[in-house]
Amino acid sequence: MVQAGSKKSSVSKINSKTGISSLIIFVVLLLAWIAGFSSRLFAVIRFESIIHEFDPWYVSAWGGYVFIINLIPLHVFVLLLMGRFSNRLFTSYTTFYILGLICSMQIPFVGFQPIRTSEHMAASGVFALMFAVGILKYLQGMMSKSEFKSLVIFGGLISAGVVFLTVVALTYAGYVAPWSGRFYSLWDTGYAKIHIPIIASVSEHQPTTWFSFFFDLHVLVATFPAGLWYVIKNINDERVFVVLYALSAVYFAGVMVRLMLTLTPVVCILSGIAFSGLLELFLREDDNVRSEESEEEEHTTPSKRLYDKLPKEAKTKPKGGKSVGNVKTPTSQAFLNWNFFSHLKAGRVPKMKHEQSKESDGIGPNIRSIVTVVILLLLMLFAVHCTWVTSNAYSSPSIVLASYGSDGSRQILDDFREAYFWLSQNTADDARIMSWWDYGYQIAGMANRTTLVDNNTWNNSHIALVGKAMSSNESAAYDIMTALDVDYVLVIFGGVIGYSGDDINKFLWMVRIAEGEHPKDIRVIDFSYRKVIISQNTVNSVWTKKVPPTLLNSLMYKLSYYRFGELKLDYRTPAGFDRTRNTVIGNKDFHLTYLEEAYTTEHWLVRVYRVKKPDEFNRPRIPVANRVVKSPNFISKKVSTQK
Amino acid sequence: MYKILALLLCLTYVTALEKVNNQLINKNVERSIDLTTQLVKITSTITLENTGRESVRNFLLVLEPNTVGNVSYSNVKDSLKDDLKIVRIEVDNQKDKTFYNVLLKQPLDAGRVTTVVLEEVLTKSLIPFPSSITQKEKQLKTEVSLSSRTVENYTKLKPVVQSDSTITYGPYGTIQPFTQDEMIIHYENNAPFLTVTRLERSIEISHWGNIAVEENIQIRHTGAKLKGPFSRYDYQRDTGTAHHSIKSYRTILPASAHSVYYRDSNGNISTSTVRPRKEWIELELRPRFPLFGGWQSSYTLGYSVPSYQYLFKNPSGEYVLNMRIIDHVFDDMHVEELETAIVLPVGVSDIKLNTPYEVERLGDEITYKYLDNIGRTVIKLRKTNLVEQHIQDLEITYNWKPHLLLHEPILLSIALFLSFVCVIIYVRLDFSLSKSEHSKKE
Repeated sequence: MVQAGSKKSSVSKINSKTGISSLIIFVVLLLAWIAGFSSRLFAVIRFESIIHEFDPWYVSAWGGYVFIINLIPLHVFVLLLMGRFSNRLFTSYTTFYILGLICSMQIPFVGFQPIRTSEHMAASGVFALMFAVGILKYLQGMMSKSEFKSLVIFGGLISAGVVFLTVVALTYAGYVAPWSGRFYSLWDTGYAKIHIPIIASVSEHQPTTWFSFFFDLHVLVATFPAGLWYVIKNINDERVFVVLYALSAVYFAGVMVRLMLTLTPVVCILSGIAFSGLLELFLREDDNVRSEESEEEEHTTPSKRLYDKLPKEAKTKPKGGKSVGNVKTPTSQAFLNWNFFSHLKAGRVPKMKHEQSKESDGIGPNIRSIVTVVILLLLMLFAVHCTWVTSNAYSSPSIVLASYGSDGSRQILDDFREAYFWLSQNTADDARIMSWWDYGYQIAGMANRTTLVDNNTWNNSHIALVGKAMSSNESAAYDIMTALDVDYVLVIFGGVIGYSGDDINKFLWMVRIAEGEHPKDIRVIDFSYRKVIISQNTVNSVWTKKVPPTLLNSLMYKLSYYRFGELKLDYRTPAGFDRTRNTVIGNKDFHLTYLEEAYTTEHWLVRVYRVKKPDEFNRPRIPVANRVVKSPNFISKKVSTQK
Repeated sequence: MYKILALLLCLTYVTALEKVNNQLINKNVERSIDLTTQLVKITSTITLENTGRESVRNFLLVLEPNTVGNVSYSNVKDSLKDDLKIVRIEVDNQKDKTFYNVLLKQPLDAGRVTTVVLEEVLTKSLIPFPSSITQKEKQLKTEVSLSSRTVENYTKLKPVVQSDSTITYGPYGTIQPFTQDEMIIHYENNAPFLTVTRLERSIEISHWGNIAVEENIQIRHTGAKLKGPFSRYDYQRDTGTAHHSIKSYRTILPASAHSVYYRDSNGNISTSTVRPRKEWIELELRPRFPLFGGWQSSYTLGYSVPSYQYLFKNPSGEYVLNMRIIDHVFDDMHVEELETAIVLPVGVSDIKLNTPYEVERLGDEITYKYLDNIGRTVIKLRKTNLVEQHIQDLEITYNWKPHLLLHEPILLSIALFLSFVCVIIYVRLDFSLSKSEHSKKE
């Protein structure tokens, strides 16, 4: 077949040019992997998040579009560097840029950001560059070589200078926003933790663990570089994009769990290519011709040929089949009946001995079958793993928790919806609820009540104020809550069922965020044991022994553990044993003055407290003028008996 | 210390045609008042004696002025346990009282005696006192037969005897007409005080063989209000059965019900059990949270039943639907407001409605379901203050042509056909600006 023929020729071409080109490819791959690996390592060593917070750049769905809007110009730019400028590229990029710009600016939130923020400057820079290159190409045809050379040098320098100065001037004048802190955090892994704790606090923004890579990608982690290798080996305009996409996505995925999303498509593409390449090599044999043909039909055609040239390909195929007609066997013909063309020629192809197997470089049938079986087994395991991951990790809603008993029975913990429905039914319609911002959307959506902060809160100081209220003592918190008109406070407490994503485990971030805005009132050091900055680990281990009083008096502690000290979960553990932290709580006996328990769900997961009105928690303070003094004749019994 | 609720002890029975007939006397009246649940169920056995000279065909029943709004259901049976017809009438010079005219099956001759049984169900007559309690306290009610021996206080209108959970008043001698005396009993009642504040029942008929029933229910605990905090710890520790909070209740569905769902605005409520019994299906519903005094909740309960059990064709070719106007929600239920909507199939005519008791018929509406272009008639009925005794069948008769069953499939086929035609035309048109390479060579 014709594919086989062209394949041969390309292989021989590469073989002839071996030396330098393969060395370059090797170096490129090595660099890519060193970059990816070091970024991972860096992130793990710092154990802090590094973050690319896309939120401010939401286009319509997800801020991740910034990745694309920078990737496409990068692709074009690399193509220019590789000398692959063409009119096709010029037309497509300019059209994309103009249309994309106009369309994105239609979204109210985006507005003029695409032309005013530094993040978008790469796209416009490449846009200008395209025109410059286009003009140069045009002039090249009209000028002599020396004239052109000087023009390129001077023109290039001058225009580069002008562009640079303009951008700097515009940035200073305030027309173009400088790089945001979130952008820096992408490159400096410690940036976010120090400067923007609120970004670092989001679990999705934590660096990806190795476990998570294997969990999500399974065997593809190993095959994806092979696919990348195949692509680089047969590079063309489109594949440059795939390569750039792969390299950048690997870096970003290493930086932040959430960006695994951007990595997975390219991993699938490249692994597909890798498997196809492997199977192509090992299935080309008598007994397996069937599958080989299928592989060839499916994979080699698109990968060998550019998609825009497919019609020609399709046309030459029957011709090639007839003239070369080398690999057809009865079995393959039978299989190829699926294919329209092969159906036509099925009867005409003469049976021939295989040239293919003769020229194959000595891979024995045993090796072939072993490798094939291993690959198929791997793919099967992969499919099983994917199904399992999808059903266990990505299908169940995080709002309904399910646990399995020792007999395999499933128990549903529906506490979130229980609490939200209670709020929606049994609180005033205009009640305001204070909770950590993670639950804002859920409360708004399921309880239909106003929240102070939610998942889309932009105002860092607002979140910090809630964090301050949660980490202050009850009376200080009461002042904040009355100022904010809070009616109910909602906390998530996992101590009864051992739910680790509760508010006590998030408390460290609340304190950090509050400290960022109110360094005089809230200090992380007050919440730590032995003057060590608390991390989640130390909190866990130190919890019982010598808990700092600031922590014991904080609103979050009290609301989470109110009356928990009396609760005995089972016979083996003492009362007040926190299953999430695996310790007995520090302060078991305390009362609430300014709040009262309004509702606690069945498994104590969600606890709702009502903020008392001033006359409820204490005797109301009566102004001196209004005080009524009891009659002076009154003598208490006590006094009279003493007489 | 205790607040007082008035309940009239004595009903006066007189016969009259427009006016009170003093010849008919209540020879003997025995009232038994059941206060074990949230409802007040009164059964009065009345012995009527005609002391006049003419035979009497009917007698008048008068309600106590201050319970008129509370009477949800009343029914009179004669000694053969046949229902007697009751009509509300007005009586001259007694405008302030509400009278009902009861027609006797057989005229009561002069000097003869007959016995009738009056059954009444009163709602909202039990008033919690104190009106709000904390989680640990017991719910006390003011009123009249008792569910426990804990009787705090009762009106001592002699002669009166209390034994266990029964208080017996009387016997009293000759009582003048229109005499009333009130009785107050203050006792503990931890029976669920659960009220359905609004029930929207929708019945959708499909001639393909299914009737879909959906009920949107809003419930509220109408007992003593919860005062102070709710403590989950105390609630979990308190395993006693006699608690005033409501954890779960039973709903009874028809035996043929299937595809049952129980959900609310937040999705499926995972705490319910279906237990099929021989004669019915028992559904144990647990609201998302236990209901304490003053708390409310809402949910949607839906199921399907096969239509052959409820929909019939009578000899004249009309279709007859016999469905319950309201169905069981929980035992001793009290429904404040009911709105039943019956969605009839496409293209019905000559609708006749027959209800077992008086209901308010709201204006008919038209609704559109999937693939409807004609629309379906919706009959809407409304009634307030209902109890279990109101679970009765309504009857709807209508004309409908069976070929309308094919209306929607044909509509769908035509739409598909048209879209295929469009595609067929489209592929035969050439919109390209330039000839493609392929066709050029050919």
